Amino acid sequence: MAEASDEQLMLAYRDGDAGAFETLYARHRARLFRFVLRSIKSRASAEELYQDVWMRVIEARATYKPSARFTTWLYTIAHHRMVDHWRRAGLSVVSLDTVDPPAGDPGPQRHAEAREVLTRFAAALETLPPAQREAFLLHEEAGLTAAEIAAATGSNEEAAKSRLRYALAKLKSAVDDG
Amino acid sequence: MADERDPKVSRRYRELGNEEPPPGLDESIVSAARRAAEHPHAPLVTPSGRHRWYFSLGAAAVIVLAVAVTYQMQQEQPDPFATGVSREAVKSPANGRARESAPPAADSSATARPEAATQAETSGRQGAAAPEARMRRDEAAARSLAKPMQAPAVETPQRMLERIVELRKQGKHEEAGQLLAEFKQRYPGYRIPENVVRP
Repeated sequence: MAEASDEQLMLAYRDGDAGAFETLYARHRARLFRFVLRSIKSRASAEELYQDVWMRVIEARATYKPSARFTTWLYTIAHHRMVDHWRRAGLSVVSLDTVDPPAGDPGPQRHAEAREVLTRFAAALETLPPAQREAFLLHEEAGLTAAEIAAATGSNEEAAKSRLRYALAKLKSAVDDG
Repeated sequence: MADERDPKVSRRYRELGNEEPPPGLDESIVSAARRAAEHPHAPLVTPSGRHRWYFSLGAAAVIVLAVAVTYQMQQEQPDPFATGVSREAVKSPANGRARESAPPAADSSATARPEAATQAETSGRQGAAAPEARMRRDEAAARSLAKPMQAPAVETPQRMLERIVELRKQGKHEEAGQLLAEFKQRYPGYRIPENVVRP
């Protein structure tokens, strides 16, 4: 079952195979969680929204049709939930308090520098316009193409490309400044 | 767009951390998925802890309320004679319909329960109602259904006195006397004009 595609797993789950869902869930859980967590400031809200996305997947299993990649479908659901959340509670992304230091121990001086660069990067990500931040996260975390980002967010491909390009330029600038 | 990823940006992004959902959340989601697969119509999130008894209590409260309202509606049998329908109206259906079109006015018989209606009810309880009484009862019931929320008409003292005078003019002194007696009983301190007391 592990070699089956996401779409095959979802179809198997639709037909009552709970094990297929577990495989599917294991594949996407971490990436989806980070996508949600870095789009929403509150961890509690992120966990709630993350759970809600999966509940929607479970509820929608009966009507699932593999007309697109499962990943695109999954992040489309996440996008809609995110939009609902933003409408209700405003928007924010990564809290600087939750930024972990990089792995290894490069010494106090370099550690402080690395943390400064990372903090700057996190701040740049946080200050991105929501649409650009979402495009970046969908590309970087979920591995979606511009066309898939457009499909997931209900925009056109050119707009998705443009958002992604702007986001990358701003983030690169933040990294280069270091 | 083959791949617009910038290696430096990607590396920095990865350095932000590899957060994962807490195990409890994983378990909750996978359990819901299993339940849904096993029982397609079961709720995804089952009520647990203190919320569980809220559902039972809420359902019980709704049932009790529904039963109470139904019982109350069944108990409310509006008295057809309290709606301003006189004894004459009861005796004559045609007359009753004519009176309905007129402004509601309480009759002297409104306070005294009509004999015929009482008999009809009594005979109805005994299961041997006369056809006439049954017809009157049916008509009264139909009227009460047609106007279930109509409030009993309250006749003003002035209007009552006018009716006594009218009765006297028509030579119905006995009926006028009864109505006057009822008036005195109902409005003990009211000053009664001379033309009401005597013809």
